[in-house]
Amino acid sequence: MSKIEKNPVFQAAGATISDLRKSYGNNEVLKGISLEVKPGEVVCLIGPSGSGKSTLLRCVNLLEKPNGGTIHVGGFEATDPEVDLDRMRQNVGMVFQQFNLFPHLTVLQNCTVAQLKVLKRSSSEAKKIAAENLERVGLGDFGARYPDQLSGGQQQRVAIARALSMNPTLMLFDEPTSALDPETVGEVLAIMKTLAKAGMTMLVVTHEMAFAKEVADRVVFMDGGVVVEEGPAAEVIGNPQQPRTQDFLRRVLDPTHVDI
Amino acid sequence: MAMTTSQRARISKIVQAIIFVAVITTLVIVADWPKIRTSFFAFEKLGPMFPDLLLVGLKNTIFYTVISFAFGLSLGLVLALMKMASFAPYRWLATGFIEFFRGVPAILVLLAFGFGVPAAFPEAKWPFAVTVMLSLGLVAAAYIAETLRAGLQAVPRGQTEAARSLGMPAWRAMVTIVIPQAFKIVLPPLTNEMILLTKDSSLAFILGMTAAQYEMTKFGREGITSLGAGITPLIVAGALYLVITIPLSLITRRFENSSARTKR
Repeated sequence: MSKIEKNPVFQAAGATISDLRKSYGNNEVLKGISLEVKPGEVVCLIGPSGSGKSTLLRCVNLLEKPNGGTIHVGGFEATDPEVDLDRMRQNVGMVFQQFNLFPHLTVLQNCTVAQLKVLKRSSSEAKKIAAENLERVGLGDFGARYPDQLSGGQQQRVAIARALSMNPTLMLFDEPTSALDPETVGEVLAIMKTLAKAGMTMLVVTHEMAFAKEVADRVVFMDGGVVVEEGPAAEVIGNPQQPRTQDFLRRVLDPTHVDI
Repeated sequence: MAMTTSQRARISKIVQAIIFVAVITTLVIVADWPKIRTSFFAFEKLGPMFPDLLLVGLKNTIFYTVISFAFGLSLGLVLALMKMASFAPYRWLATGFIEFFRGVPAILVLLAFGFGVPAAFPEAKWPFAVTVMLSLGLVAAAYIAETLRAGLQAVPRGQTEAARSLGMPAWRAMVTIVIPQAFKIVLPPLTNEMILLTKDSSLAFILGMTAAQYEMTKFGREGITSLGAGITPLIVAGALYLVITIPLSLITRRFENSSARTKR
């Protein structure tokens, strides 16, 4: 278990991934990944770039179509050709590296548009829920602004509020702090930590080892399209068993240490 | 002694200015001013053109342009979406249509609709304006389709991904997220297309028109033969085209500036 105390307020669902395969042409990016995320659990995916972690994450809500294996997310089988993907995605929040806020809509509209058009909530209800979530990410006063009037960290917090406004039971984070200026990384990680405390199920691709160590219940190290090592955060990061994990962590935690 | 670059540039400018002034002076001296006055600027003889040039001509020019543009825009959007479709026959169909109507002169399409269709379908009867709308609209659609496709594809893929991740179906993501952003990208080229259409509406004369169907160029041509004012009627008609097209450009520029924030 992670070190943080949890006080669940979210309705949480889990995800089960088994023998997931994905290729681009002849390049097999995921070579049979199996992974379980229990309801309310925070799992961090770490690994070198090109290891397939983002592809894995994007497969979970079918932004990438897997070539084999199955994915179950919150009562839906994502890999079933008959599944209602739109219904499934309503329950799975996604936060992108590049934020992907809608630049032609205000911050508040970013958080209400899918509530109105997809969930068919009333305007007043959608605004209320959006305002609550903007408040949760510390941007309660920013509803009338446009995304390009915000800093990167603020934009990413809006993106989190936008996802939360759909009342997801599981959240996917695809390197949410990688595109941020160093001084705004902390504010986004802090929000994610409060979500974890509140019992949100989270699958997070990240390079922030300190975050993973503190917040994650489990850490999964991927390399070359396979899971190399997984376990409690303190063990995988603090005391890795596999040489590839050790090598990766040494390079990440001590960038100036290079074997030449 | 060799000249420096800036000295050379200065001498070059002086020479250009001298040539320019010399050409203008020559033209002014050689020109037959009284003749120019009576054949270009005989505004006093234009009385009979009014108010019909405005009430009928200007109105019809705008009317033909607007209906052709509306039809061209709707069809162009369908073609643009077809060109981006995953179903290959849609793409082939759209590509074939676009290549054909972009490649043939608008006047041929007008003639084909004006004379070809009635010959092939003697029972089909529709108003003159519909013929103009279909012919000019088909040609406009071919250009507009390419413009819209480029605009839609200029919206970053992450926008669609974010919309789909929020549970929006593909069509909803397109309508609510992608198209509004693409619209701002394509507004300048669409205005351009509308200006071209405004001018192309003058081709409608080839079909033969009743007086109530005259647009501005036709009024100008009629004026030349009936008023004895030289080509003054054409000068006036030309000025009226600018009265339509220049405000179009200005409005677009204004709109672009006010929505500059949505560019990333």
